[in-house]
Amino acid sequence: MQLELETRLAKAAHMRRQLMAASCALLGAAAARGQEARMAPADSGLLEDWSVDSALAYYHEDGRIQAIEPVVNIAKLFADGQALNFNVTFDSLTGSSPNGALTSRSAQTFASPSGKSAHAYTTAPGQLPVDPNYQDDRIAVGGTWALPVTRVDQLSVGAKLSDEHDFFSVTVDASIAHDFNEKNTTLSFGISEEFDSLQPIGGAPVPGSDYALFEKTGHKTKNGVGALLGVTQVITRNWLFEFNLSVDRFKGYLNDPYKITSIIDSAGNTTGYEFESRPDQRTRKSAYWENRVALGGQISTGLSLRYMRDDWGVRSDTAQLHLHWSFSNRDRYVEPTFRWYRQTAASFYTPFILSTEAPTTAYEASDSRLGAFHALTYGLKYAQKLPGLGGREESEFSVRVEYYQQTFNVRTATPAALQGLDLYPGLKAVLVQVGWRF
Amino acid sequence: MNFKQICIFCLLSSTAIAGGCVSLGVKPWQRDVMAREDMRLDANPLDAAIDDHMYFSKEASSGGRSFAGGGCGCN
Repeated sequence: MQLELETRLAKAAHMRRQLMAASCALLGAAAARGQEARMAPADSGLLEDWSVDSALAYYHEDGRIQAIEPVVNIAKLFADGQALNFNVTFDSLTGSSPNGALTSRSAQTFASPSGKSAHAYTTAPGQLPVDPNYQDDRIAVGGTWALPVTRVDQLSVGAKLSDEHDFFSVTVDASIAHDFNEKNTTLSFGISEEFDSLQPIGGAPVPGSDYALFEKTGHKTKNGVGALLGVTQVITRNWLFEFNLSVDRFKGYLNDPYKITSIIDSAGNTTGYEFESRPDQRTRKSAYWENRVALGGQISTGLSLRYMRDDWGVRSDTAQLHLHWSFSNRDRYVEPTFRWYRQTAASFYTPFILSTEAPTTAYEASDSRLGAFHALTYGLKYAQKLPGLGGREESEFSVRVEYYQQTFNVRTATPAALQGLDLYPGLKAVLVQVGWRF
Repeated sequence: MNFKQICIFCLLSSTAIAGGCVSLGVKPWQRDVMAREDMRLDANPLDAAIDDHMYFSKEASSGGRSFAGGGCGCN
């Protein structure tokens, strides 16, 4: 009798989930993005009617940085269609970070960014120079308010604050979305503005200055403005896509204040270093296309493609594919993911400066993130529905693992004395994440 | 293919899609598959945010899915 009652209750709960999902789908293509469709409708209690999405991520690079990142997102959908969303992210990073200098056959000694000799560190011959004292904590809070303006128009505004001991950022954005074609098509347009303040440890280096002279100034700023035009389209009962064009422009101090470039002679000996010098503005443009296709009742797939270019000479292509396979009456799923990425180098990227070349005031940076490389990501996620908490019908626990690998495409001629050294070691990283939402 | 060509291609495609909108899409009662959570474009927003943060700090590209700004001193 008890078993029969539990079975009937489980069926009723499942039917309620299905009806709620179907109702939300009637909101149209706009509901395909945003938190609305997953939110519990408002009824009673303080947090009873908020949906909570949380995750704890651990990121580990081979021999370099490791990070722990807890994230919490809470959201609420009101009866009149308004939606509120708040999130908090905390990052704690420790480990060793490449300082940009080139691997050498001799030992190399560097000062910490603060310039205190007590914090000097030495890199052994044949090893990639990394600052072993890297440590940073970041807290970011954000919120979004979406409100229907008419039956087919929705306005959304958001803000985000991010704070580190040497960096502070404020971002605001606003977008408007319009549904038509029986809500099968949604056009959206948004703008964003970002204000960043940099207060590097020991001061911001003068771009291109001699590392030994320690020419530093006070705090710096950079600002960015972006726009995004998008269309979301339901093609068939099983196929939905989104296409976005975006552009953003940043101005100000765009250097990494902790990155230096080695100066070497023709024999491959390091004779000095200078701070990197990037242009003080950058414009990026991108095209992004994402698809969702249902391949039957249990399986769906997502494919996204992105092309990006900027006026620093970087071009990149990204393709990401995932497969979502549900089973056990959709109470569990697994999701394998594969991502492929490649980028060309910025026009001023150089792994080192040859001292035999004429002095130049041109831009230069050895930051490997501006070099030419390709990267692969392999991921797997498992999620399990669990009984809900309090008045909630269900919760979901998930675990996700990703492996990320960067491989450099080297085209720079290297002095014979440096050949045989691993000058471009690439990067290998693992991400492990557990998630819980209710 | 440069960015201008891609934009022209996309514009033409969008025009074709918009022109064909009358025949694209489904009726409200045919949205059962679209109602599935796995068919949402942001089915896992925290996963996407954590991934985007990782890629933002290790690559020269960001954004596309949404605004490109990072709000992070890591790049």
